[in-house]
Amino acid sequence: MRDILFNLIISLLSGIFMCLIVLPLVALFTTTSWSELAGQFKSPLIVSAVIISFQTSLAVLLAALVFGLPVAYLLAMKNFPGKEILDTLIDLPICMPPLVAGLGLLILLGGESKFGVFLNSRGVDLIFSKPGIVMAQLFVAGPFLIKSSRQAFEAVNKNVTQASRCLGASEFHTFRKVLLPLARNGIYAGMIMTWARALGEFGATSMVAGCIPGRTETMTQAIFGYAMSGEMGSSIAIALLLIVFSFTSLLVFKSRIRKQLPGA
Amino acid sequence: MNIVLRQISKSFHGRPVLENLDLKVAPGEFHVLLGPSGGGKTTMVSVIAGLTKPDSGSVLINDRDVSLLPPGKRKIGLVFQDCAIFPHLDVFDNIAYGLRVRKQGEANIRQKLKYYLEKTGLEKEKHKFPHQLSGGQKQRTALLRTLVTEPEVLLLDEPMSSLDILTREQISAELVNIQRKTGLTTIYVTHNQAEAFSLGDRISVLHNGKIEQIETPEELFYHPKTEFVARFVGINNILKAKVAATSRREAVMEITNEGLSQSFKLKVKNYPVFKKGEAINLCLHPEKINLSKKNAAIDGGLNRICGKIIKRTNHGNTFKVTVDIRGLALHAVIPKFLFNFQVYEEVWVVFAPDALHPLCGRRCRAPEFSRKCHNDLLTY
Ligand SMILES: Nc1ncnc2c1ncn2[C@@H]1O[C@H](COP(=O)(O)OP(=O)(O)O)[C@@H](O)[C@H]1O
Ligand SMILES: [Mg+2]
Repeated sequence: MRDILFNLIISLLSGIFMCLIVLPLVALFTTTSWSELAGQFKSPLIVSAVIISFQTSLAVLLAALVFGLPVAYLLAMKNFPGKEILDTLIDLPICMPPLVAGLGLLILLGGESKFGVFLNSRGVDLIFSKPGIVMAQLFVAGPFLIKSSRQAFEAVNKNVTQASRCLGASEFHTFRKVLLPLARNGIYAGMIMTWARALGEFGATSMVAGCIPGRTETMTQAIFGYAMSGEMGSSIAIALLLIVFSFTSLLVFKSRIRKQLPGA
Repeated sequence: MNIVLRQISKSFHGRPVLENLDLKVAPGEFHVLLGPSGGGKTTMVSVIAGLTKPDSGSVLINDRDVSLLPPGKRKIGLVFQDCAIFPHLDVFDNIAYGLRVRKQGEANIRQKLKYYLEKTGLEKEKHKFPHQLSGGQKQRTALLRTLVTEPEVLLLDEPMSSLDILTREQISAELVNIQRKTGLTTIYVTHNQAEAFSLGDRISVLHNGKIEQIETPEELFYHPKTEFVARFVGINNILKAKVAATSRREAVMEITNEGLSQSFKLKVKNYPVFKKGEAINLCLHPEKINLSKKNAAIDGGLNRICGKIIKRTNHGNTFKVTVDIRGLALHAVIPKFLFNFQVYEEVWVVFAPDALHPLCGRRCRAPEFSRKCHNDLLTY
């Protein structure tokens, strides 16, 4: 009897939460029609926002792989002084408001800091540019790849990597032939999360990008901009596109993982 | 190819695991490292392999100091307790791994592996992945993966501990066979004394970060030098004694264990370490004890003490019997067909003077490994 009550309450509370997720999505999908939507995607400003978002988020993904995987490897496989600090620093962007990160970057890259002045004197202006957006998004989204890959590296049986070393393989060979293949799923998961986070990033990006339509306006900023100026149709169209992207990438990823785990 | 460890020390988080450990393994020796779980056996093996950096001390293989070399350059082969075969590679690719690292051409590798796979009966399994293999097949794969790289020394860290007894005996036999044929210097780690006795040319017992005793299996079993070794090889009767008198062949010992309501005297075969009036620990082999209903004085040279059976446990073809003697618990191993007593029955405990050995302490002379003794064993 008590169990029935307990299960009832659990289901009820879960149901409330599901509504919270589903209802806004339903609202987005029902306020517009297909023909209206198709019309929106003919607007060059919306198309450019989509392109800019893809360019920057894919660049973030690439940069996270190039610079983040080494960090994950260090954290997972090595012991060194200051490891705790590095670990905490990686966690920081996940907890910190992205606006704060954006503000920091704005000051660093703009004329307010010595570094910014130095860059400007060399003719490099990262503020209000795509590289600036990539940096802001990398700051916010990069740690997801690092954390996920690190966990995946740590989950690989130490004896297996050590066996590779004993069989004569170098550390790099072991990384390439043993660690990477075995940590693959965790790295993929991190890539999806980082890419999705970068695509949806708003706070940090808006500080450094300056929302110049057609040049530095990403999809999230366009949504905000259109909604604030009352152009709900355009706003919704982009929002729906973002939802579709996130959903499909998650689905693709989950089905891949299931395929790759044959009884293991 | 000999292996020499000099003054190896290693601590984890301030807790010493190996302390000034010295060990010499002779070329061609099958050396068993025996010790309890958590005693530092794996740490020692990974120091030899170069996977763990010791705090101090050096490792020599074939008289070459390898302390600064990475694992791959030490010409060692290491087989792990959990096999550690690559889960993403099939049997063939697992075994070929070391050869591919050495860039031996694919044709060459295929030819070499064909030979080995047929010999070990893994031919049919060569395209299976680790999760499709039995424990024995996994361990064979791991062993073969190491052997094809032709290491100078072979290190095996509890390789059989997850296998059933039949598979274990089969693979052990194959292993010993290969070792005898190739003369590959081998260190075999185990916590199982039965395995140690059946495999080793010599056994070293690891305790508290040091080698407690190095001995041939026979010597280790019949002449343990410390209480730890005695207990670890299953001799759990430790008697605290004082030498009361000595003669040419025998000594009389007064037994003074704590908890004894009244001390008693025993005849013990005389050893040079016995000095009149001095205290020494003795071990009494449980399998050398007989139980008897009557104090039948058949042989006046035997020790006899009256006691009471307080416990009997079943061990296949023997009983382990605990007899209470004036507050002292003595353990005896009695073949089942000779046991016709009841628990709580009064019995006479009978044993010869040579059932007892002195535990003269760790300052032991380690016998050198000799090929002669090795060959004797083989012909035997
Ligand atoms: N990498 C490590 N970090 C911390 N402690 C360790 C490490 N490796 C081993 N130890 C400790 O050292 C002791 C000996 O371990 P080990 O060599 O694995 O023993 P054995 O192989 O004899 O069971 C254990 O108490 C274990 O907890
Ligand atoms: Mg171990």
